[in-house]
Amino acid sequence: MNAVNLPDYRTQSPAVADRFARIKRRPVILDVRHLTKTFPTHTTLSDLSLQVHRREFVCVVGPSGCGKSTFIRIVAGLEALTGGEVLVDGRPVTGPGSDRGMVFQGYTLFPWLTVKRNVMFGLEVAGQPFSVAEAEARQWIELVGLGRFEDAYPHELSGGMKQRVAIARALAAKPRILLMDEPFGALDPTTRCRMQSYLLQIWRQVDITILFVTHDLDEAVLLSDRILVLGTNPSRILEVIENPVPRPRSVDRMLSPEFLATRHRIEELIHGPAESEPATLPNIRLTMAGDDVE
Amino acid sequence: MAERSHKWLVPFGQLSPGRQLILVWLSFLLPIAAWAAVSYVPFLWHPLMRITDPGSVSYFTRDSLVERKTFEAENQKAIAAGGAPADGVPANPVFLPAPHEVATAFHRAFTSPPKRKGDKWLHESLWQSIQVIFWGFTISSLIGVPLGILCGAFPLFSKITEPFVDFTRYMPAPAFGALAVAVLGIYDPPKIAIIVIGTFFQQVLVIANTTRKLDTSLVEAAQTLGANRRQILLKVITPGIMVDLYNDMRILLGWAWTYLIVAEYIGASSGITFFINQQAKYRNYDSVFAAIIMIGLMGFFTDRILAWIGRQIFPWQKTDKPGLLRMLALSKQRKPEGAAP
Repeated sequence: MNAVNLPDYRTQSPAVADRFARIKRRPVILDVRHLTKTFPTHTTLSDLSLQVHRREFVCVVGPSGCGKSTFIRIVAGLEALTGGEVLVDGRPVTGPGSDRGMVFQGYTLFPWLTVKRNVMFGLEVAGQPFSVAEAEARQWIELVGLGRFEDAYPHELSGGMKQRVAIARALAAKPRILLMDEPFGALDPTTRCRMQSYLLQIWRQVDITILFVTHDLDEAVLLSDRILVLGTNPSRILEVIENPVPRPRSVDRMLSPEFLATRHRIEELIHGPAESEPATLPNIRLTMAGDDVE
Repeated sequence: MAERSHKWLVPFGQLSPGRQLILVWLSFLLPIAAWAAVSYVPFLWHPLMRITDPGSVSYFTRDSLVERKTFEAENQKAIAAGGAPADGVPANPVFLPAPHEVATAFHRAFTSPPKRKGDKWLHESLWQSIQVIFWGFTISSLIGVPLGILCGAFPLFSKITEPFVDFTRYMPAPAFGALAVAVLGIYDPPKIAIIVIGTFFQQVLVIANTTRKLDTSLVEAAQTLGANRRQILLKVITPGIMVDLYNDMRILLGWAWTYLIVAEYIGASSGITFFINQQAKYRNYDSVFAAIIMIGLMGFFTDRILAWIGRQIFPWQKTDKPGLLRMLALSKQRKPEGAAP
């Protein structure tokens, strides 16, 4: 990986430095070692290594085709790796399991189950008796603020509510790490904003480590402790950014200098400085003379 | 929407409930109107003449049907010979009875005993047919549904059964008729066997396909929640395809009715087919129509009832008409205070 020097003003403030020091003292939950994923025609991920500590919030960003979704699916065990290894709590990942919960972009709630039974699913397949599972599911539903909707079916809920149920369902199975694959990508901007603050709130209240894939750079900066920036051609880690924006975070932070600098830094990494100018189009005119809009 | 609604023809548009109802009625009334028109308007079609007075034509008898051409030719001959011309009214062939005749026959089929002793009443014939369908469809489904789901869920089952099933389904079920009679005798068992053969192979393929159409991300979600193979099959795949499976079964049941008519010709002719044949032999075409319409009505109402039941037992379906149970549940539920995000 080539070293990229960050601008001077990003030298971490004492509060942020202290936060990272605390995170790094915690045990490693997810340990990705030299992960490689090769398809017959091309390599999507090569030699990717990353350590995620307990209760850390790591975002993965990168241009489309950089393999960020493939990465999270490999961690989930839904896709096989072709090289290296992934350890969760020191145990190698061989397939999907309840220690890695996943929230997909497409909700994936079971349409034939009510909200309550959806959240109970992970508990029931783990062999919990119905009453125990029900009581526990109720707590998770309350946590995401959907207590009034526990008997509703997914098709009766809005997109944001569905995704809250999906989060509750994933958390109810008590995973060590929560994997989120562009979970708010299908939501409208207002709802997405609200979901981001819900998620931060949930993350504060629950002992959970989060690996979060997104293509929304603002989202990545708003949520994360660290940001893994992936590049393509050749595929590689461009940088792992330690997010300098102090916590607690809210949407008003999005105009602070730290926030803008971090966002700018990622943009630069992904697009490169050269691409900031739009490509010029051939000078063809199809309007009447004097009909200029600018 | 509002400014589009006054148009009847909008591609992928929607019609108001009132208009839909009008069209539903028209779809039945138009064919009946056409039938009534051909039957009751004398100058529409009516290729024959019903003799009301034979006159001096020797071979004309009262109420017999003759071709118009023959009728006119014979009359000219009769007049030329100085005899009295025959009299008649335009008529349709005997195989096209008028609506009111069919309606009467429909009534008669249920109220008056069959002509020949030992022949079955219409409802007895129908009941026999229904039993054959029921057993044929049940036996086929007991094996076909689980096998179809397994084929859809596991490539192993798919690869080991589907090529052969695909091959067999091209053999027409009636071709097995002689064999079925040789093995199972002449009464109901060979007929049930034909329905099983006709339904089973299609059923496996159709249900396997339906299973494959299940959103795989639901299976993936279940896997990340810790579900094992058996739990995925029983708690995700099976309930996940239930709505489509139910609709497949409705379509397959329609096919089974088609095979029924073939099956009933095999061995000792029986059931509704026997009734139709017997009535055709007596040239009671009104009763033939009555029986055919009876099959149509049964099929139609069975399907409507099954569709209604479907809405009741699958409350998670997105429909504009929720089932009764769901409506009760919704009315009991505390009112949602505005949609939270």
